[in-house]
Amino acid sequence: MLVEFELIQKARGGDGGAFNQVVTAYRRRILGTISRLIGRPEDVEDVAQEVFMRLYFSLDQLRTPEVFEPWLYRLTVNACYDYLRKSKRRRESRMSDLSEQQVTLADAAAGSKAQTDESEKRRTRDLVNGLLASVSEEDRVLLTMKEVEGLSLKEMEKIYGVNENALKVRLFRARQRVLKNMKRGNEFL
Amino acid sequence: MRIGTTNGNGTDGELDARLSELFVAYRAACPEPAASVNFMPEMWAKIEARKSSTMFGRLAKALVTAAIAASLILGTLAATSNNQGKNEPGNYLEVLAAEHASALEPLSLERVSLMEQQ
Repeated sequence: MLVEFELIQKARGGDGGAFNQVVTAYRRRILGTISRLIGRPEDVEDVAQEVFMRLYFSLDQLRTPEVFEPWLYRLTVNACYDYLRKSKRRRESRMSDLSEQQVTLADAAAGSKAQTDESEKRRTRDLVNGLLASVSEEDRVLLTMKEVEGLSLKEMEKIYGVNENALKVRLFRARQRVLKNMKRGNEFL
Repeated sequence: MRIGTTNGNGTDGELDARLSELFVAYRAACPEPAASVNFMPEMWAKIEARKSSTMFGRLAKALVTAAIAASLILGTLAATSNNQGKNEPGNYLEVLAAEHASALEPLSLERVSLMEQQ
């Protein structure tokens, strides 16, 4: 944990300063996770503020320190779901809907590992965002948490409140859906 | 790593491996966003706004509950007073009818004979 449980208890007791410290400790991590989950840099802060606001109003339900981080992740995941649903920005695009130029650029980005300038990174981001936009919000968030955030199945068990086997099945299916769209994109070209 | 190849002949295994590599590359390509200076003030503004909306909601709920309770009490009182009123003459016409009930009765034979005698 990035903070002592005592600090969380103080925040729970209404200590604004303590809550500020908790937010400051987790802010960077949460901003990064949200950024990768929603893929829209301009809305990341807004969603993060929503997460910490939900944390503030639900702190009194926290009983043990062990569950704090999984719980914060759950709040983050839920806020991202809400954002993705509300924004309706998710296009029904599949890989085949990406322009030829986009795919060519993405291909170049993937082929030139040594090139790490910002434009290459942007192309990779666009490509993955395009792939993730072709599946449901649930699939997108689930895959990002596992494949991009690198969370273990144990950690995800706590966040989602389901057992490891169920998670494996859901992850497998989500991955298959992304692969199907990826394959379709290849065939199209 | 090759992604988006144009021949489309990649096997499922290759495609799966490409996807894994792509996720790793995505992680590296995503910048770590830094919070703006307004992050904390805006967050607290949202918290305060929600606090006041919650208080307003509670007040509204209390008012609605009080209104329902008052309606029930008034309704009960009105029903009780109506029941009591049924035992007494209701309006002016009913009072008149009660006072002149005998006059309004149909003529009986006894009354006709009395009239003939007169």
